[in-house]
Amino acid sequence: MTAASPRKSSWVNGLFVTPYLVVYLALLLYPLLAGVWLSLHKADLFGGEAFVGLENFGRLLRDTVFLQAVRNTFWFVLLTVPPLAIIALALAIALNRPTRAAAFFRGVFFSSSVLSVTIVTLIWRLVLIPDGGLIANILHAAGRPPIPLLSHPDLVLPAIALTTVWWCLGLPMMLYLAALQQVPAELYEAAALDKAGPWKALTRITLPSIRRTVVLVVIIQCVLQFQLFGQAQLLTQGGPNGASRPIVLFIYEVGFRRWDIGYAAAASEILFGLILVATVLQYVTTREKEAVR
Amino acid sequence: MNALARFPLARLALAAVATLSLFGCAKHDDVTQITVQRIFGECRSAGAGARNPDGECEIITGLLDQFQRENPDIRLKVNIAAWPGYDQLSAQFAAGDPPDLVTMHMSAISDYQSRGLIEPMGQGLENVGVDPAAFTRAAREGVTKNGQVWGLPFDNWAPLWHINMGQFRRAGLVKDGQPILPTSADELLTQARQFKAATGKPYLVQAMANETASYTRNLYTYLMTQDAVFFTDPKHIKLTTPEAHRIVALFKTLHDENLSTRDQDYPAATSGFMNGDGGVYLVGTWMIGTFEAESHTPGRPLADGYAVVPYPRIFGTKDAAYVDGHAWVVPHRARTPAQRAAVYRLVRFLADHDYDWSRTGHLPSMQAVIDSPRFKALPHRQAIAPLATIGQTLPPRVQRQFAIQDIIGDEMASAITGRKPIDTALADAERRVNDLLFHLL
Repeated sequence: MTAASPRKSSWVNGLFVTPYLVVYLALLLYPLLAGVWLSLHKADLFGGEAFVGLENFGRLLRDTVFLQAVRNTFWFVLLTVPPLAIIALALAIALNRPTRAAAFFRGVFFSSSVLSVTIVTLIWRLVLIPDGGLIANILHAAGRPPIPLLSHPDLVLPAIALTTVWWCLGLPMMLYLAALQQVPAELYEAAALDKAGPWKALTRITLPSIRRTVVLVVIIQCVLQFQLFGQAQLLTQGGPNGASRPIVLFIYEVGFRRWDIGYAAAASEILFGLILVATVLQYVTTREKEAVR
Repeated sequence: MNALARFPLARLALAAVATLSLFGCAKHDDVTQITVQRIFGECRSAGAGARNPDGECEIITGLLDQFQRENPDIRLKVNIAAWPGYDQLSAQFAAGDPPDLVTMHMSAISDYQSRGLIEPMGQGLENVGVDPAAFTRAAREGVTKNGQVWGLPFDNWAPLWHINMGQFRRAGLVKDGQPILPTSADELLTQARQFKAATGKPYLVQAMANETASYTRNLYTYLMTQDAVFFTDPKHIKLTTPEAHRIVALFKTLHDENLSTRDQDYPAATSGFMNGDGGVYLVGTWMIGTFEAESHTPGRPLADGYAVVPYPRIFGTKDAAYVDGHAWVVPHRARTPAQRAAVYRLVRFLADHDYDWSRTGHLPSMQAVIDSPRFKALPHRQAIAPLATIGQTLPPRVQRQFAIQDIIGDEMASAITGRKPIDTALADAERRVNDLLFHLL
């Protein structure tokens, strides 16, 4: 009886996670599997469905528009994730002090994160447009011609990346701040007694102490930035000539404008796979480094 | 004795609540609610102090308000969708909850009609006394598929040449009070260079950034004037042709010689034209009211004169113009006879107020309105009235016309701005459109 009781008890305890499990299965696992099944069909948004196996995936690998969207997405992730990880860390270190000015600026730098993508793109359109935009006016005052930041194929993604970094800086900064506040002050006091400079304190104490948060920020930002959509949709509609079309915009166009929902599902599965691989790679790499230490 | 009997005030309050509830139910049962979904933006109706009394948004808001006032037995629930509204509408269809009446471009009707998502409206129109024979030819063709009428046409619209007459005068391009318009591509380039030399401004104002529709409409119109059959059948487009090449080449030359504005999006191009940034703005009928109001505002660049005309024929020998139009369609869904009657009463009301809508600048869908003195008395309407006869839509069975427009516009932009050779861009557009059409179920 004494042996059976705890076993029964632990099984019953499992019931507490049932509500979550039901929601997880219904809203995450089922749609994921349904999406995989749909990607194996030629299907229209409003009826008509034929099993085509892996044909949609073959079509995607031959589709120059999709391949361009994949390249754009990777380039965008490279343009945004390192700045978001580094600038947010710099801000967090600068603002990790118990002064009113620091509290005020923490609020200021976080405030952009609460705006919707519509407002963000509206603001940045007024900054970026070559016809009377803020940057164009500054260049004009300096006697320089305006730069077509939203209509030049080489500049459009960096311009959207700039918008995104401004918008998304708040969350990683707050994560870093939370981590920095967990670092024991005694470590810095000891370092000061040993006459360690700020650089040494940063590289020997701060960064090693918040290593897990850095990894978390990079993984979260990778997952988020792979899913770029609103900024590109509202600022450029993916143009010029697809130079700023990310994978999610491609999926949206194919699914909702062309109603080719099976093809869109196949593109979604590829995006899911890319995010999964990128995340697992980062996780495994950092875990191996920690194991070596 | 129960508790209520001991508290007369409580009994009184309960009786009052019950009476009000019954009254409320009776009142509620008398009112039929229908959902109307429209584009055209969000604003107050065109009353005193309206920013633009002849704007699309102000007029449609005023019309729906008026219908609501005159029909207290019907409650309109109005959804306002962002242009063009099809992403939202498709999601509503997919969820099984479409509106009762919705605005739809004529070019989009075939998508929904071919999937059985909207109802044929012929019988319903007949029941409320709206005769499709009263529609203009362009309007009737726009809503007719497979011999059936699928919508109430509300207007036809087309891209037009909106002209800053003050600048045209300075460039010596006005004769007898009328703008001198080109009759060939060479003449257009000559006049554009003359205009630039005289005013220092580009001849054309165009929305070229974050925009695909205007490129495609230019191409369609000038292919139609050359009588080019670019849709050999509803599933195939042919764009690798000399006719298409010469159109794109002309716009590329205009771009290369800075005879057109560059890098402007739609809002920037529109405000640029109103601020006198160029001679001719290529945009649709819906801007006539706005520009006309500007021309009556002292001190504004357009106060020196404003004119508007259909695209001049610079290629080919046929007078033609690509037109589309707005229609009201009835989605398939379960509704009571009272709701059906309410929907068609609103349809009749909208048909009766076609003139009011034509104040926007759009071409009326009723021939009687076009022929009426009050329509002809509206500014510039005589100039654009030919669109009702020369206007052409794409073949009615071509599906996904908005998606096709995006692809063609995308590729034309690449060619015009020099990022792709013209023939490559046209071949890419042709391949991408045909791939889209091939994979339609």
